[in-house]
Amino acid sequence: MGEVLPYRPPRAREETTAFLGMVVFLGSWAMMFAALFFAYGFVRTRSVAWPPPDLPGLPWETPAINTLVLAASSAAIQYGLRVIRQGASPKLGRALLLTVLLGAVFLALQVSVWTRLYVEGLRPETGGAYGSVFWGLTCFHALHVLVGLIGVGLLTRRAFAGAFSAAKYLPVRLWALYWHFVGAVWALMFVLVFLL
Amino acid sequence: MHAEAHPAGVHPEPTSFLRRYIFSTDHKVIAKQFLWAGLVFLAVGGSLAMMIRWQWAFPGRPVPLFGMFLSRSGGVITPATYQSIFTMHGLIMIFFAITPVMIGCFGNFTIPLMIGAQDMAFPKLNMLSFWTFVISLILITASFFVQLGTAAAGWTTYAPLSTQIGTPGAGQTLVVAAIFVTGAATIMGAINYVTTVIRLRSPGMTYMRMPLTVWGLWLTAILNVLFVPVLGAAALLLFLDRVFGTQFFIAGAAGVKGGGDPILFQHLFWIFGHPEVYILILPAWGFISDIIPFFARKPAYWYRGSVFAMVAVTVLSAVVYGHHMFLTGMNPLLGKGFMTLTLIISIPAEILFLNWLHTLWKGSNRFPSPMLFALGTVFVFGLGGLTGLYLGTIATDLYLHDTMWVVGHFHLTMAAAAFLGSFAAIYFWFPKMFGRRMNEGLAKLHFWTSAVFITLVFCGQLVAGYAGQQRRLYDPYQYTFLSHLLPLNRWTSYFAFALGISQFVFVYNFLSSLVAGEKAEQNPWQVGTLEWTLCPSPPPHYNYATPPVVIRGPHEFANPDVIKALGRDWIGQTEPMPKVAAAAIKPAAGGAKD
Repeated sequence: MGEVLPYRPPRAREETTAFLGMVVFLGSWAMMFAALFFAYGFVRTRSVAWPPPDLPGLPWETPAINTLVLAASSAAIQYGLRVIRQGASPKLGRALLLTVLLGAVFLALQVSVWTRLYVEGLRPETGGAYGSVFWGLTCFHALHVLVGLIGVGLLTRRAFAGAFSAAKYLPVRLWALYWHFVGAVWALMFVLVFLL
Repeated sequence: MHAEAHPAGVHPEPTSFLRRYIFSTDHKVIAKQFLWAGLVFLAVGGSLAMMIRWQWAFPGRPVPLFGMFLSRSGGVITPATYQSIFTMHGLIMIFFAITPVMIGCFGNFTIPLMIGAQDMAFPKLNMLSFWTFVISLILITASFFVQLGTAAAGWTTYAPLSTQIGTPGAGQTLVVAAIFVTGAATIMGAINYVTTVIRLRSPGMTYMRMPLTVWGLWLTAILNVLFVPVLGAAALLLFLDRVFGTQFFIAGAAGVKGGGDPILFQHLFWIFGHPEVYILILPAWGFISDIIPFFARKPAYWYRGSVFAMVAVTVLSAVVYGHHMFLTGMNPLLGKGFMTLTLIISIPAEILFLNWLHTLWKGSNRFPSPMLFALGTVFVFGLGGLTGLYLGTIATDLYLHDTMWVVGHFHLTMAAAAFLGSFAAIYFWFPKMFGRRMNEGLAKLHFWTSAVFITLVFCGQLVAGYAGQQRRLYDPYQYTFLSHLLPLNRWTSYFAFALGISQFVFVYNFLSSLVAGEKAEQNPWQVGTLEWTLCPSPPPHYNYATPPVVIRGPHEFANPDVIKALGRDWIGQTEPMPKVAAAAIKPAAGGAKD
């Protein structure tokens, strides 16, 4: 019997497969965040006072700016996707760099929110359910932003090295989807946790 | 990129030992890795079950054999150790034995082969899934060796027992982390299965021509993708509570500023947990839905009905979780809704059941070991399903809740049916996996002992539960109203020990067949699915040289045209109908090519 060699479907088909895999993954991860929001809703509807009287309320200004920052960075990576479809590799590099920078701004502003509230006395171990939700949800989300930053950061390096072209940009597509997902989760978190 | 023999990204068959057997991306090798891991932990979980049964038969007496692990108490199971034992029995069996064997092993092995693919959609992710699973195995093993021992909050890990207040040891934290990690591994595998079935079916392999095994595993994967993350969220919050001092699940005196709510954990757990029980049975339904027609030598009765029933169960399983929580102060109206939805599940389950029976009806039934195990699965699942009706109904659940009746019920469905279903799959696919046959006589001995004793064990539990014995009691006979149940429990334990001992028949058969079994031919069972008709045993790397072109469903048996033209009662999924016979008798019979 002869050696069995891999047969490969056309590239476009393979890319659609990879994209579908990413969609399934993000769908799955959306369920995890849905469960976290469910947990939040559950403890909040059962609490007597939210926030408890002696604890600081959550600010809405910085998180609102942060929502805009993430939206802008999502727009930047989407722009990168558009230009690489036309083959403009250096433009893609600059768009990805902007995405990373805006992501870093988001994290920096998050850190400022955390420090402020920590100083004002909102701590995970003494904040009750209120503090738990704030710290648990925002930190878990920030972890996803961090993963995105590393991923898109590596992409940026490859983009400047000219690794992507109009025919070959699948990783950009996948990371863009991930980045939009992280932004959408944040937008939801902003409304549910900070505004309500 | 150009179309070469080895285009970039696809590598030729690896030759180094490490790449070929350890860090392999071949779905068949990964399947075997999961099988080994799962069987080892099946033995661990089984040993823990034997210790529980010893405690209920001879409370306070030193355990023979396993007593050496309990040296500090002189071989006696102490109440604290007992907590750990039943906790870890449940967790190990569910997440580290049934899941890897059914989903990790057979999901990996059968899906690409049965749909005519060369591998999974994401082979590297597949490898990562197994090695992530290994990390969780390390965590769970390590938890046995830390101070205060391993987890002791029950397999359901209910808060607040599972928080620092109930179980302060590092063991519980490690186990919670292990659950999160194994969940991640499961999700990786499930993403692969879902995508592979959608994208990599070979030409002509429509959804309605897929073997029911693939249907079962695919629906399982969909449930895994959607609901394991919810368990992940529960484990994550519990981990935060334990390690960072948050208060999601802590209330009452220990709660700061009102704290959180322990009932929240039950919600999150059962939103995952109820789909999970179908995650553990859907693959078995798939296996036996194929194996029964294969050995009844008849097309599966109402194939579409079986598919519809499995899909319906998958959908319904997502909306019934509340029936685990009737006694948590749930709004009675909500409880009634959950009860109704729960009882509705019995309709698709009955459709499946009747389809199996109709397939057997007037079949040319043969009874080799896979068929016996499949029929055993049908039997114990039937018992489990019927006993479940009393738990889904609120009026009876009030009395049966938290008794051994519950234990007997879910062991009949999740343990006995999943156990016998897994063995049906192991005996059926062993020749294809390893290229050798297992000893049929020993396999039958294994079946009869396993099926009889497993039924007796769990029926014994049902009876004890009906008599009022609460589950998880360290020494039930301290209660006068239960003390007369000692003989019953002792007999149940004897059956359990017999069940445990009879597994050595399998161990011997499995190992000796691996090295010295008779060489398997390509299609020993004479069935028509792709892996048996087109692949040698074992299949080569990349399975198929060209994409198989499928022209019919998986159970084409006893077709008179085929018997006349080919002299056999089956025809492969890719095999064209012989022209003469097809033209002479009925045109286009069974989707013939011409």
